[in-house]
Amino acid sequence: MEDVQVVAMLVRRCVAGDAAAWEEIVQTYNRRIYNICYRFAGSADDAEDLAQEVFIKMYRTLASYDSSKGAFVTWVTTITRNLLVDHFRKTKQDRITDSLDATSSAHEDAQPLSEQIQDQSAPPDQHVRSREVGEAVHAALGKLSPELREAVILRDLQDMDYREIATVLKVPEGTVKSRINRGRAELARLLQRTYRQVM
Amino acid sequence: MPDHTSNGMQCHEFEGLLSDAIDGVLTGAQLDRFQAHVRTCSACRPLFAEVEAGRNWLKDLTEVEPPVSLVTNILASTTGVDTQRLRVNVSAPQPRITWLERAHAWASGAMQPLWATVRQPRFAMSFGMAFFALSVALSVIGVKPADLRQVSLRPAAIRHTYYNTQARVVRYYENIRFVYEVESRVRELKRTVTPAEPAPERKDHKNDTTQQPEQKQERNYSQTENHLILASAPLGLSVNDLPVVLVTTYRRFV
Ligand SMILES: [Zn+2]
Repeated sequence: MEDVQVVAMLVRRCVAGDAAAWEEIVQTYNRRIYNICYRFAGSADDAEDLAQEVFIKMYRTLASYDSSKGAFVTWVTTITRNLLVDHFRKTKQDRITDSLDATSSAHEDAQPLSEQIQDQSAPPDQHVRSREVGEAVHAALGKLSPELREAVILRDLQDMDYREIATVLKVPEGTVKSRINRGRAELARLLQRTYRQVM
Repeated sequence: MPDHTSNGMQCHEFEGLLSDAIDGVLTGAQLDRFQAHVRTCSACRPLFAEVEAGRNWLKDLTEVEPPVSLVTNILASTTGVDTQRLRVNVSAPQPRITWLERAHAWASGAMQPLWATVRQPRFAMSFGMAFFALSVALSVIGVKPADLRQVSLRPAAIRHTYYNTQARVVRYYENIRFVYEVESRVRELKRTVTPAEPAPERKDHKNDTTQQPEQKQERNYSQTENHLILASAPLGLSVNDLPVVLVTTYRRFV
């Protein structure tokens, strides 16, 4: 995914105060980091703030990156993931309240996801349909537990291998695989209610 | 958790091979045994279907485009000086000559368009001459100059106005030049004392929590990890027994 020597040189230049090198790093990784944050945190606003925080953290700790100890992209993803954990803990209180509300409403109306899909009866145009599906998958992803969510994001959206994910999450590879399987299965169960006809 | 043996493979072994099977990297005898287990085990068959379906849903999720302002904001909050975030986070000494910077901003911002016009001495003269020509034209077609008594249109008066304006312009220019000169001296002084841009810190932060992966620091979403694992859905359960509410119930522990 990355040329180790090219990245190592870029980092060295950046640590030496080369603003152009830093801009190159930002240009190369902002999309990836933003997407991880967006899929994990759920909202575009949160993702923008979080991605910015990730880069501030990176900028300050760049000198501590050691290319002999792992790929830069793994290091970057680790910083991103750690900030997401902090963000999740900070907003935990809100989430408990939210999930309690969600639980009660889920009992009354057992189709929380379908509320987000407009007018299922009319056959919508393909583009609108795929956008709606994307929104439903994104919403379902937000309902997964954070452990399962981060695992499937790194595997299925960021195409990282199990070893890299294990490094980022600091758990054994077996645990990574198990979380990915559980995350995918739970996601399918959540979406099955809305899209039973598709499944 | 029902862990029976079906076609020479136990359910927990099946789970271990599940991701490899989904990835398509399972081959030979192992693949045959895996497929045989899927066909015959009533617990693992729906699980396999769900994991595969979930993977397909996720594969369809396309990347989103970051906002256009993201890179600019990142650069401003890292290499740039003028951001709220850095002012709060970095305890760098504030520049001592803020009034000068304010004067600079005022001079280059609000006054720039006006200044650009006034600094051209020909402006006053041209305007005066145009006005004079207009008054001649008016008198030719019968408008009395007395009607315009309030305005002094004599060439001498216009020239007087022009020189007055020019003198004021020159004085203003001299004042601005003085401010700029003082400012550039102060800048030079600052440059010799502090570096222009804060480079990334070279020191290791021992207390920093987002460090190299090899620092075995556990970072979980909750301090009660065991709770979490128990509360989330285990793989071996029959899928039909797993209400989706489990996901939200789990969140109470988070
Ligand atoms: Zn089985």
